[in-house]
Amino acid sequence: MSKVRYESVMTADRNLAPAEHEEFDSPYTIPNDRYAALTTILHDVGGEPDYPQALYGKGEEDWEMNTYLTCECLAWRGAWNAEMRRRAENDLGKTQYYGFPYYGRWITGAARVLVHKGLITTDELGDKIDEIRARLEKK
Amino acid sequence: MAKHHGDGHHDGHNAFDVSSKVSEFEILELAVRELAIEKGIFSAEDHRRFAEWAEGVGPHGGSKLVAKAWSDPAFKQRLLENGTEACKEVGIDWLQPTGVGTPSDYTFFYVLENTPQVHNVIVCTLCSCYPRPVLGMSPDWYRTPSYRRRMVRRPREVLAEFGLHLPADVEVRVHDSNQKSRFMVMPMRPEGTEGWSEEQLARIVTRDTMIGVALPRADRTSDAGSLAEQAR
Repeated sequence: MSKVRYESVMTADRNLAPAEHEEFDSPYTIPNDRYAALTTILHDVGGEPDYPQALYGKGEEDWEMNTYLTCECLAWRGAWNAEMRRRAENDLGKTQYYGFPYYGRWITGAARVLVHKGLITTDELGDKIDEIRARLEKK
Repeated sequence: MAKHHGDGHHDGHNAFDVSSKVSEFEILELAVRELAIEKGIFSAEDHRRFAEWAEGVGPHGGSKLVAKAWSDPAFKQRLLENGTEACKEVGIDWLQPTGVGTPSDYTFFYVLENTPQVHNVIVCTLCSCYPRPVLGMSPDWYRTPSYRRRMVRRPREVLAEFGLHLPADVEVRVHDSNQKSRFMVMPMRPEGTEGWSEEQLARIVTRDTMIGVALPRADRTSDAGSLAEQAR
């Protein structure tokens, strides 16, 4: 990241911080610097300021491994490809991108792309989710 | 409830908030998978075959590459010149398991040689690109925004947090992986390993030494003692 880009990211972050404590409810207008903060490319994080954090060596949970496999099989058989998966994750928006666990991003992106491409419908997905929830909770 | 693999906390304290309720992500994954199978997008057999491949890959693949390169200078040259091609010599085929590679990994593979002057380390600032066919699934910390943010700006500090303190006269090169280029570090063969077989050598080439956040030692055969792992 160039120095100019680094400075602009720092500024964008500073500008976003107070805005998050205000009402985010479709304002009539926003200052240009907040526009810049809100449209920062969310996944291009290299060089952004951060502090040391505990690094975990957590193993994959079953749903995480299954998410990896399902996403790869969808790509293997042509429903999408790896670039579309990454794009779908980045398009989740900051709240979900940083709010979800790593593989939560993957599977949410997969569901959205399948719907967008017309391969499944939202009704089918909703019915299937209800069916699975009922099945798992009965166990 | 999803179970943890390799979960090993020492005092019964679980650092993760794992609810006994069914996870929404578990439900969503099952829903996507079952719909995809019902609609014929992929088959249950595809999923099983991919799982078999994924369970078979791990750092042992990279360990074999490094141990062979340490023992055979001609192989080392081939590995540095054409990583994907040289992998075949230890039974790693980047075209597996589909015949055209995994959707997320089939790409260019470069092995980065550490020297007394240069230490290499890998990161993926944009997502979590990692050489799965030779190292398996990436560790959780590799995918964190914190590692992605900081490794490219403060590599020496991040390495120090892993317990790796490099002398100031060693240049640190950070390699940012992407969807078309995957990297793996070839560490230097440590002292005290003279006369060792490739199998013996492979045991000290752990995952962290091939990411570049640790150095191999004759008496170090596991990453479990690293600071990152102790933090669990």
